[in-house]
Amino acid sequence: MCLQSRMTFNHFHRNDALAAFLEIKGLGKSFGGIHAVRQLDLSIDRGEILGIAGPNGSGKSTFFNIMTKVPFAADRGEVLLEGKNILTRKAHDIARSGVARTFQRESVFPSLSAVDNVLTTVENSSAGGTHRDNVAAAILALDQAGFPATLHNTPAGALPVFLRKLVMIAAALALKPRVLLLDEPASSLTPHEIARIQALILKLKEADMTILLIEHVLPLLTAVSDRLAVLDQGELIAIGTPEAVIAEPRVVEAYLGKKQ
Amino acid sequence: MELSAFIAVLTGGLVLGVLYSLMAFGLALVWTTLGIFNFAHGAFIVLGAYIAWQIGNPDAFGLGFLVSAVVTVIAMFVIGVIFQFLLVKPFERKPNIVLLTVITTLAGATVLINLINVMWGPRSKQIVLPASGDLSLGLFRITANEGLMVLIVTLTLATLGWFLLKTPLGRSMRAVAQNREAAQLMGLNVPLLYAATFGLAAALAGLAGVFIGSIRFMTPNMGDDPLQKALVVVILGGVARFTSPIYAAFLVGIIEAFSTYAVGLYWTPAVLFVLMIAVLVVKPEGLFGRRERSV
Ligand SMILES: Nc1ncnc2c1ncn2[C@@H]1O[C@H](COP(=O)(O)OP(=O)(O)OP(=O)(O)O)[C@@H](O)[C@H]1O
Ligand SMILES: [Mg+2]
Repeated sequence: MCLQSRMTFNHFHRNDALAAFLEIKGLGKSFGGIHAVRQLDLSIDRGEILGIAGPNGSGKSTFFNIMTKVPFAADRGEVLLEGKNILTRKAHDIARSGVARTFQRESVFPSLSAVDNVLTTVENSSAGGTHRDNVAAAILALDQAGFPATLHNTPAGALPVFLRKLVMIAAALALKPRVLLLDEPASSLTPHEIARIQALILKLKEADMTILLIEHVLPLLTAVSDRLAVLDQGELIAIGTPEAVIAEPRVVEAYLGKKQ
Repeated sequence: MELSAFIAVLTGGLVLGVLYSLMAFGLALVWTTLGIFNFAHGAFIVLGAYIAWQIGNPDAFGLGFLVSAVVTVIAMFVIGVIFQFLLVKPFERKPNIVLLTVITTLAGATVLINLINVMWGPRSKQIVLPASGDLSLGLFRITANEGLMVLIVTLTLATLGWFLLKTPLGRSMRAVAQNREAAQLMGLNVPLLYAATFGLAAALAGLAGVFIGSIRFMTPNMGDDPLQKALVVVILGGVARFTSPIYAAFLVGIIEAFSTYAVGLYWTPAVLFVLMIAVLVVKPEGLFGRRERSV
């Protein structure tokens, strides 16, 4: 009996590929006449890094918005995490259930210190414990993100952009997410800072995190992504290995404009 | 102006400042967190005064000042939460929420005032505070009841400061006020925090009512002046930090005291409004403010 249940357990793990870890089905959102995201279907494996590219206004951020219900929900479609549709939950429950996200613009609580920013997340997550434990968890998340320990008590609003991004990432990590959605983590950073973000993303992958990464910085995107998806006008126009996708005529066209 | 008169006026201004900070704090809290001006804040103050009178006064239930203050604060918290649920929450994500809630909170205020009229009648009442006699420190002299108010308000605001800075719930309330969307992403229960903030603001208004009801004769319409004063304080001071309205409250109290001395009670509101307009023109974010909304 015991042996049998153990076998079933193993059996499930072997067949991860059958029921994808994260499955997006028919997801869509329109604003008046604009189809920001139309009919998106994707399936993502556990531990995979899916890069998402696309020209400005192609619906990348909207995709993250409707997955997290912040600031608005999808018009249609489902997001299945291990088979359960998370879109039936409230925004804060989606976050607590392990889908964390960073914003395209560095979005922090400006007059809270760096550590308080992350602490707030810990305190509101299901894992909240004693104050001492919570502070330790917040510091751990900041360390994980590579945030300098000397600046823990600086108000987040006073930090330079790179560090604000790290605070935002640390706060997301404090949710102990299974899925991490990063919206342009490298925008407006120096090459050196981008290299640090890249190392961080690879480190998180090692820790078995599933990551969706929106990025305009192509070298970063191709370096870390297992697969690359390209959106154009709200539609998925290509998906596959980064090399193959970048070579696709439709992708080149979307980026450079149609050749007449 | 003689020194003793000066000190007396200054003392009066400081005592007013204490009262005004209590009145303005809740209004500022709601403005920074929910992004609306609650025009029922004055009505909350009145309702608080009447509840306290009902519970505490010898002519009514006669349970004494302390019990009445505690019951008032709790009751007003609950009333605030209900009020927010009925009149603010339904309009939360609408683009014209500020205007809509001006209308709904004004309407709510009218309903509350009429209810007070029906329940307690228009005849004026007064809350009896427990202390008697005077306290003096050098040339500063206040009544023992004013001293009691200063003590209770100071303790309340200090506790509130500690709550906002040091407790998880307080931190979450500040976080939501600073960035609603990031807060949602970080798993903060925004609707719950909004309700708690509104309830807290109403509770503070209720406590302010307890003191106003003891200083003046209570009538159902006495809320207009406190609402105006609270608005002036919030606009003057800005809301960059949750302490900004407190500084502004003392400034307004002192200006009011001296202007009453110099130009009389009649012209004092005009002085304050001119000052407020000047600040709006020169430094619209408030004297103690930065431009962004935060606490
Ligand atoms: N709140 C909104 N109201 C109306 N239209 C919106 C809203 N949010 C996004 N859109 C529209 O939806 C489309 C997709 O926008 P989105 O922000 O998702 O693009 P993006 O791919 O993230 O672009 P970028 O690379 O510039 O960040 C755009 O046409 C945009 O104007
Ligand atoms: Mg975007």
